[in-house]
Amino acid sequence: MRRFYMIAVLGLWVAGLSIEAAAIEQFPPPDFESGYEFPDTTTPPPHSAAREYVDAAMLAIALAAATWLTYTRRSRRGIFALMIFAALYFGFWRKGCICAIGAIQNLTLTVFDSSYAIPITAAVFFLLPLAFALFVGRTFCAGVCPLGAMQDMVLLRPVRVPRWLEGVLRLFAWGYLAAAVVFAATGSAFVICRYDPFIGFFRLGGNLNIIVIGLCFLLVGIFVGRPYCRFVCPLSILLRQFSRLSKRRVTITPDRCISCRLCEDACPFGAILAPTAQSDEGDYIKNKKLLGFFLLLLPLLIAVSGWAGYGLSGRAARVHDTVRLADRIYMENAGLVTETTDASDAFRGTGRTADALFAEAAQIRGQFSLGGWLAGGFMGLVVGLKLAATTLRQRRAEYEVDKASCVACGRCYEFCPRQHAVLKLKREGQ
Amino acid sequence: MPKIEARASAAGAEATQRWYVAAVRCAVVAGVFSVIAAMLLFANAYRMKVSDLRDEDALAAMKEQFTKQPGDEKLLEEIRRMDIENRSRRFGHLTFSQRGSRLLLGGLLIFFGTLKWVATARRKLPCPMHQPDGQQGQRRQAVLGRRAAAACVAGFCIVSAVVALKGEIEFGTDKAAIPAPYPSMEEVAANWGSFRGPQGDGVSAYTNIPDAWDGESGQGILWKSPIPLAGNNSPLVWGDRVFVLGADEKNYTYQVYCYDARNGKLLWTGDVPNALNSEGEPLEVMEDTGLASCTGATDGRRVYVIFATGNVAAFDYEGKRLWLTKLGVPDSVYGYASSLALYQDKVIVQFDQSVADDGLSKVIALDAFTGRTVWETPRPVGNSWSSPVVVRVGETWRLFTVADPLAIAYDPATGAELWRAECVMGDVAPSPIYAGGLMLAIEPYSRMVALRTDGTGDVTKTHEAWVAEDDIPDICSPVSDGERVWVLTTDGYLTCYGLADGEKVWAHEFERASFQASPSLVGDTLYLLDVKGTMHRVAAAAEFKELGTSKLGDKCLASPAFADGRIYIRSEKNLYCIGSGK
Amino acid sequence: MAEKNEPVNRRKFLREGLWAGGLAGLGAVGGFVGVRSTRGDTVWQIDPNVCTSCGNCAKYCVLEESAVKCVQLYSICGYCDLCFGYLVPEPKQLDTGAENELCPTGAIERTFVEDPYYEYNIIEELCIGCAKCVKACAVFGNGSLFLQVRHDRCLNCNECSIAAACPSGAFKRVPAKTPYLLKGADGKA
Repeated sequence: MRRFYMIAVLGLWVAGLSIEAAAIEQFPPPDFESGYEFPDTTTPPPHSAAREYVDAAMLAIALAAATWLTYTRRSRRGIFALMIFAALYFGFWRKGCICAIGAIQNLTLTVFDSSYAIPITAAVFFLLPLAFALFVGRTFCAGVCPLGAMQDMVLLRPVRVPRWLEGVLRLFAWGYLAAAVVFAATGSAFVICRYDPFIGFFRLGGNLNIIVIGLCFLLVGIFVGRPYCRFVCPLSILLRQFSRLSKRRVTITPDRCISCRLCEDACPFGAILAPTAQSDEGDYIKNKKLLGFFLLLLPLLIAVSGWAGYGLSGRAARVHDTVRLADRIYMENAGLVTETTDASDAFRGTGRTADALFAEAAQIRGQFSLGGWLAGGFMGLVVGLKLAATTLRQRRAEYEVDKASCVACGRCYEFCPRQHAVLKLKREGQ
Repeated sequence: MPKIEARASAAGAEATQRWYVAAVRCAVVAGVFSVIAAMLLFANAYRMKVSDLRDEDALAAMKEQFTKQPGDEKLLEEIRRMDIENRSRRFGHLTFSQRGSRLLLGGLLIFFGTLKWVATARRKLPCPMHQPDGQQGQRRQAVLGRRAAAACVAGFCIVSAVVALKGEIEFGTDKAAIPAPYPSMEEVAANWGSFRGPQGDGVSAYTNIPDAWDGESGQGILWKSPIPLAGNNSPLVWGDRVFVLGADEKNYTYQVYCYDARNGKLLWTGDVPNALNSEGEPLEVMEDTGLASCTGATDGRRVYVIFATGNVAAFDYEGKRLWLTKLGVPDSVYGYASSLALYQDKVIVQFDQSVADDGLSKVIALDAFTGRTVWETPRPVGNSWSSPVVVRVGETWRLFTVADPLAIAYDPATGAELWRAECVMGDVAPSPIYAGGLMLAIEPYSRMVALRTDGTGDVTKTHEAWVAEDDIPDICSPVSDGERVWVLTTDGYLTCYGLADGEKVWAHEFERASFQASPSLVGDTLYLLDVKGTMHRVAAAAEFKELGTSKLGDKCLASPAFADGRIYIRSEKNLYCIGSGK
Repeated sequence: MAEKNEPVNRRKFLREGLWAGGLAGLGAVGGFVGVRSTRGDTVWQIDPNVCTSCGNCAKYCVLEESAVKCVQLYSICGYCDLCFGYLVPEPKQLDTGAENELCPTGAIERTFVEDPYYEYNIIEELCIGCAKCVKACAVFGNGSLFLQVRHDRCLNCNECSIAAACPSGAFKRVPAKTPYLLKGADGKA
């Protein structure tokens, strides 16, 4: 019996080998005589949608709490506790995935791909921190962002980064933002998620390279405050601009500055600006001329930088699956390589023509070319404005907080003698 | 910090100091623990990524080995031992990494927590020392900022230029620049990539073919190389590569050999696995046929091979096996022997087996890149030993096949049957040819049928141009110069018919000569290779005229291959290249 | 004094304008999102008809134990005695000997139903999503074994690592309300 069965099946096996596509129902499901019933295939459901709304609510609550702790309570300890909570909840509990930084890409993809719709919670995660920034500055960074929390907690021996260097390093974040938008818009990849350095910690595992990068960020973060936030994070770029315009700003002192200079070294993120000296007339004229020169230079910078972006776009396009596949098929068809890959194998199995694939890839390459020009030009604009900004002199009479750079961590509060005085007064008043 | 200040009594300071020391110790311990945990985790990850996979490969190899030596109890035991070991190790590593990462996280938490404590405890009171942001400093910052920004733009441009100049494959804009995934017609015509040449009709594209050589003295023979395993397949020639196949009946070894056409050096040997028949036993076939009678095919990129086991494989020109498609062992009385044909990027297999009523026969096109079936068409025929030919008919391509009882024409692009004629019976071994607008099909020993190729559907009654019945071969395929057609029987009768009308023009008997290799045509000379290795050259003309003979003195069953100024002959044990070095 | 105050006012005016612009921008994004966003979330799933069983699911998941597992769709299973999803090709014996079993972790459980039928279950704790059985079942059998993302395990990353590594584009976002793509009785998803 067994023998017979084997032969029969092997015969079918031989017959079935070459008709993979039609493999379904080679053996009709049996009619059982013993009253056997088909078990159901288990389908454990995903986490309920309610959890998404809980996340959004948690975000709103945490933002409100951060704002309250920063402005009303002025408590570094409270902010620190909130940070720990954020790292635990949005980081370790939610495994780092629903994240305001990554939501930039969801929004971009929604704009450019009509077949994709952003989940409402992702939209909330994008909009709320920015809206808060417009009113009260970067309180999101202070106590809500788990990535910021991780770095803030390991900062032990801050090293001062020169302002000019900080400005230049920040260009990387600008470029990262531009690249992330281009990659998301073309539907190629969510690079921010792919290279999120702390995701491996939150998930307790993952891509080894990313974990190593994350470890490096943490080690550097012991000395350089929040390196990811300051030099890499694309959302920080948006938050900075919104925070610049914010209605309220974090103040070092709860009431008035007594120019004691004690807070001078308080900020590890270079967000405390010292009072400036009076600049002389010659300097003023020279700067005005320079400003004119830089503004004239702006179109050239945009053009050159756009060209450079375009130059990179060919390589960048290969991040897109279709382009990579088309390149591979091209090489195989041209006889430049003889082996096929899983992807080219799968493509050949679909029966699509190579021409159609090449046409699609060419279209995506076209999108990347345009994206390259735009992103490059944007970077040129950014550099140009940065150059122009170097000619501007702001006059400050006392120690002030740089609205853009301040992450509202509350470290400087404790350096201000007025803070202690006010606290004491409050305590005595109670 | 106010609290520390408040406790600034001597006892307080001592207590703070104690706590401070404890915290430092704690941090050191936690730090060392974290580093060790991290290292162990990395080692674990490495093992999971690298050595576990290696062990899996080793187990797979052992399982493969076991299929060859089914009775080996020791191997079986080893397989089972290794299997359980691999499984437990896999899950062990998983558990290790899950627990380890939690421990590492805990360690880091304690490390940073205590360090934070230490840092807080040692915090000094702020002591302002910097000069206010003077004009000089501001200017300096501005200048440095400008320089750095300029450097960034320059760096961006340089990186971009380097990347752009590195050269990307650019295509899509110029359609003509997209190369076809198969060689051009000119390339195919200039090489000998399949059985009986580019059109499968034994006609050489070159006329500068040697006409005299001698196996005994070696005169006229460029090189001679031994072929490790036997086979009746013909050589394939593409550029400076020559391919032949061999198989071993005893050890069930199937191989393809690649020789350097310049010097006869064996460049590489490729292995194709064995296959078991429906009884679960290794295949056995008639000795005369052998396991390697099918000639492969090559398109200048890959060489495709098939054996009597029904295993089709492709190798690149460096000898790497790219794919293997198991069609199943065909049920063939004498052993499967049809050669492969190529159409563009498709490898065509005439997979005839059993008897027509079993419905097992089919013609299959495999994707040259992957070996996946592109199309397959069932054929109502029994087993056959003839080979399919892909030929150009006017502006279209046709695939011609012959098997008991049908000659069938297909569209090689889709596998659609175009027409069929019921005109042959028996064990068909000669392959069809296409000449002068006619397809010539041979029924062994009895008939040669000429069919007009413009029909559709069943053309048995309508498209038969003529039938010839004298001295029809059982093995050798015909050859034609477009005006006449020659057939050669195994026992040495060469008969010439008019191609247009099928009238017998002349006949000649080669005394004491027997032929298995099919006749070939070079210019206006017929090249007939007999079993003893003697090449008879006969004028392809209206009258019989023997032009000469050249002896190799080696047993030759396979049809020769012709290249620019050269003939490649496979004897039983050797591969000969006849011609002069270029 | 009035002249001196002017630039400050101008700056203030500019700032107010930009602030309003920023708010309007956020409002516009919010409005756009309000129109375009989906109420329900999406989750990742594999289209079994596109999947080529390449084995990447076992390697690329951010979880060390992949969230992708093999499932058995009983209604299209042939309940074969000689199941090539369960056994290696040309098995010596139809038993669980390491030399006969295809699954590298022994995650398929075989139980006798009635002569000559056997039921095959996936033991999910052992399955690693390597797709060896899926491939064999697709080629030799009915294709009742196929891969699915198991949502009790999946973290639903914003960018799925397996999707990024999938050679055939079988990974897609599906509405969270219909999180599985099981083949129907006709074998289509």
